[in-house]
Amino acid sequence: MAFNLTRRKFLQSASLAAVALPLSKAVASESGIKRSPHEAKGSLKNETVVGGICEMCFWRCQLVGKKRDDRLVKIEGNPKSIDNGTSICARGNAGIKLLYDPDRLKYPLKNVGERGNPKWKRISWKEALDECGDKLKAVQDKYGAQGISVFPHGSTAKYPMHFFERTVGTPNVSEASFFQCRGIRDTAYLATIGMAPGEKVDMPNSKVIFLLGGHFGENVHVSHVKSYMKGLQNGAKLVVVDPRYSASAAKSDIWVKIKPGTDTAFLLAIMNYIIKNKKHAADFIDEYGDGFDEFATGIKEWTLEKAAGECDVPVAQIKEVADLLAANAPNVSIHPGRHVSWYGNDFQRQRSLACLTGVLGAYYVKGGWVPAVTPKVGKASWEHKEHDEDHNLNLNSDEELIHPYTPPGTPTELIRDAALTGKPYPIKGCVLWGQNPIQTIPGQEKMKKVLKQMDFVMCVDVMPTDVTMWADILLPEVSYLERYDYIKTGTQWDFAEKNQQYISARMPLAAPMFERKDQVYITNEIAKRMGYEKDIPVKSIEEMVDKNLKVAGLSIEQLKKEDGIHIREGKNPYNMPDDFEVIFYNEDLEDAGFPGIPTYIPVEQPPAGFARLLYGRVPVHTFNRTQNNVWLNKAMPSNPVWLNDELAGKMGLADGDEVGFINQEGVKSRTTTTVKTTPGIRKDSIYMGHGYGSANPLMSVGVNAGVDDTSLITKITVDPETGCHGMRNNFVKFIKDGKIIDIPSAA
Amino acid sequence: MQYGMIIDLERCVGCHACTIACKAEWEVPVEFGRNWVYRMGPAMVENEMASTYYPGLCNHCNDPVCVPECPADTVDMTFTDAKTGKTETLEVAATWKDPFDGTVQIDKSRCIGCGACADACPYNARYINSEQLDDVSDDGKADKCTYCKPRVEAGSDPACVQTCITGARIFGDLDDPDSEVSKYVKKGAKGIEPEGGELGPNSRYFGKKKDMALLFNSQKPELADLNQVRRRAMLASMVKPAMKTIKNIGLLGVVGVMVAKHAGDKEIKE
Repeated sequence: MAFNLTRRKFLQSASLAAVALPLSKAVASESGIKRSPHEAKGSLKNETVVGGICEMCFWRCQLVGKKRDDRLVKIEGNPKSIDNGTSICARGNAGIKLLYDPDRLKYPLKNVGERGNPKWKRISWKEALDECGDKLKAVQDKYGAQGISVFPHGSTAKYPMHFFERTVGTPNVSEASFFQCRGIRDTAYLATIGMAPGEKVDMPNSKVIFLLGGHFGENVHVSHVKSYMKGLQNGAKLVVVDPRYSASAAKSDIWVKIKPGTDTAFLLAIMNYIIKNKKHAADFIDEYGDGFDEFATGIKEWTLEKAAGECDVPVAQIKEVADLLAANAPNVSIHPGRHVSWYGNDFQRQRSLACLTGVLGAYYVKGGWVPAVTPKVGKASWEHKEHDEDHNLNLNSDEELIHPYTPPGTPTELIRDAALTGKPYPIKGCVLWGQNPIQTIPGQEKMKKVLKQMDFVMCVDVMPTDVTMWADILLPEVSYLERYDYIKTGTQWDFAEKNQQYISARMPLAAPMFERKDQVYITNEIAKRMGYEKDIPVKSIEEMVDKNLKVAGLSIEQLKKEDGIHIREGKNPYNMPDDFEVIFYNEDLEDAGFPGIPTYIPVEQPPAGFARLLYGRVPVHTFNRTQNNVWLNKAMPSNPVWLNDELAGKMGLADGDEVGFINQEGVKSRTTTTVKTTPGIRKDSIYMGHGYGSANPLMSVGVNAGVDDTSLITKITVDPETGCHGMRNNFVKFIKDGKIIDIPSAA
Repeated sequence: MQYGMIIDLERCVGCHACTIACKAEWEVPVEFGRNWVYRMGPAMVENEMASTYYPGLCNHCNDPVCVPECPADTVDMTFTDAKTGKTETLEVAATWKDPFDGTVQIDKSRCIGCGACADACPYNARYINSEQLDDVSDDGKADKCTYCKPRVEAGSDPACVQTCITGARIFGDLDDPDSEVSKYVKKGAKGIEPEGGELGPNSRYFGKKKDMALLFNSQKPELADLNQVRRRAMLASMVKPAMKTIKNIGLLGVVGVMVAKHAGDKEIKE
């Protein structure tokens, strides 16, 4: 890490120059007459600032800050929290390295070079906002509101997103949290139980925890991991279905080393077996089920043997899992997953998970799927104005929805195709707010072409992420540690404990530095310039938070008095709503031209010489957002590629070998990483952590560190029901010392 | 009293919260750590797939090999038992094992930064913090886990324990048979001993049989060649005072100091 050290040394000398120490003093200190060791004193006795809410990831733990001489020195979990308590994860602890990252955006910048190869010129906020307002207005006047596309992510992006979507009136909003993540899960459960499921499984009180791809430990959301661990400590059996021996598989009782893409076949066989052997929750299904008989008949073909062949899993193991689930039903946690945009057949898999939960009667019961009863707060934002539906890209020529089960917004691929073809209309304005589509959305080159053809691209972010290189105007935003905004509500995570609810609001732990501004200021100023001044819903971010808290009878002042968290009595989470139902066979789905009964749709298999590229989380990174954090980078500086050890032997590769990749379309990785050989991965797949390999030289820590998996995901798959992406259908070979090495996996 | 820490590998999920919290609490330079988390496996252990973690830190050994290697001048230091108020005076160099709480500590003001203790530690639990400089040492000061002594004495948990998201780190008195840590020892929590050593490590691991096998088979620390450690330490202790004198009487002058500083920086970079 000589590099980081050098950078810090450089900064030290820079700051020394800035304070312009008199030479005499400098000499005195250099000659060593009065120096003392800078022994760290610890943060315990420092001033505590309350009210922080983390956003190193989107679980949003409750924080306090430790402050010394106006500088935040440490972040800790808020001791009053009944969610994360005093715990925060590696990323949460590393928040101060984001706050004080010298690479952070500091001033409004104008690109006087070209998109993708920028030259930045510092400009005033007035100039920056004038340009954003004028250029977006020009796009709107020429092409209509629909000519503006929005790529938002995170707490700060909600307010501007609502402005462009509700008030200006563009439907062309693509949220990564939906279209590249959990949207499929949400709409599949909506089509089955009428609700998005969250990750609301009562793991602490469960007898069996069933994870499909969930890799807790590598994927860390603090109170969720706490609840999982409590379940395991309470004796729950753990079933992990994953092509890789993940962090969760390492704690499992049964590891199902499934062939990628075949999960639905596995789930159908389990359900068919349970029903055939009359181990299903017949009473529950009688009362709450809809279309169960059609469903049971429709999945009959899925014998254990058929699934075993498809999934490359022993018959006995599928039976073992099914028996274990049935024997412990209904107190089983069938986890709905979170990032589920995998293979383009994902809606059917998510429907299967929702149905399996129903087959086991595991809704609103101890250990099952149990949504907590959470407090209501306000949602002050821009008003919905009347806009015609003519510009919905998700409608075909017969006025039918192309992807009828789309999450809110417009499917990403429809926006990108319209932008590139100009049909049915041009998309010439782009607002990027907290999202980095370059390292998020498959088809990096396609994304670049989309950005290139725009009349205007503006970007608001905290860090110079890869996509910022494509902006015309780049605006620096305050971080989650320097602003008000998000209101976090919830309950205690273990329902065996006293029912309590909490309400907390993000409050700044540090003052903003340089010229960074918050989302309400930036959006309002742009709105004024686009002619929407009279529609502005709140004048400041504090006003927004206070309005929202008022709905719950609270205020910022009051929350401060209560150490940042208001706690009140909760409600029994196990009460099932009267109108609850599980739609096993969904007629509407069938009417829309999709299988009404969960159906397995096979995916393409790797051609000879290639293996499937799988990616996942490392505990120190959130997507690609944290890669420049110097502490997190140091903890896991690269993303070694997992390669089956037997294959490695045949390929002449060993642990630590430096390799690059080439995919099925001939696209090569820009950087390299090291090989990790292990028996803990299938032979048809390789695996690497996501969130590495930034291409932006302004990210002096993260640039070229590890391999950017997204750069290799060029084959674009779209889940037909939802329009969300499938990102695990790309295949790679290795490159070592310039030579391409086949992966002899098929044999 | 002997403070100790148990790492419950059944609970540990390898998330690194402990290492980053420690960095923040004790201002540990980016490139170093007072503690660490290594992932072990997945690998086959007696025909079973296993994967676990090695969350390591100073073991505050019963018989620490680092302490006797410190070449700094000794002083008489009086220790006080926090519970009974009993005192004991020992002649110590710049690092010692506390007779009352059993922790191994460093006096930064007397440490000459020679690195002998770091070289002697078979666990690599010590490093030289190049940001901690004074008249006594231009190379920095030895630094390591203190079991968060200042926090613990103030009634708080060690920073890593406080932040641990699964309660996998348990801190307490191993001499108290009723303490949580002692219960873990009775259940089989073990410390990692170097080959041929009997140091009595007090940071101990508890876990499933296969995970313990994976950890203990892959972590085989070696005792250092103490002769080599001592030669280097002696050399350092001879050079240091001389250099200090030169600087104090200003023989180098302004330019000389600048040059010396520059040279020092370069050394660190490499």
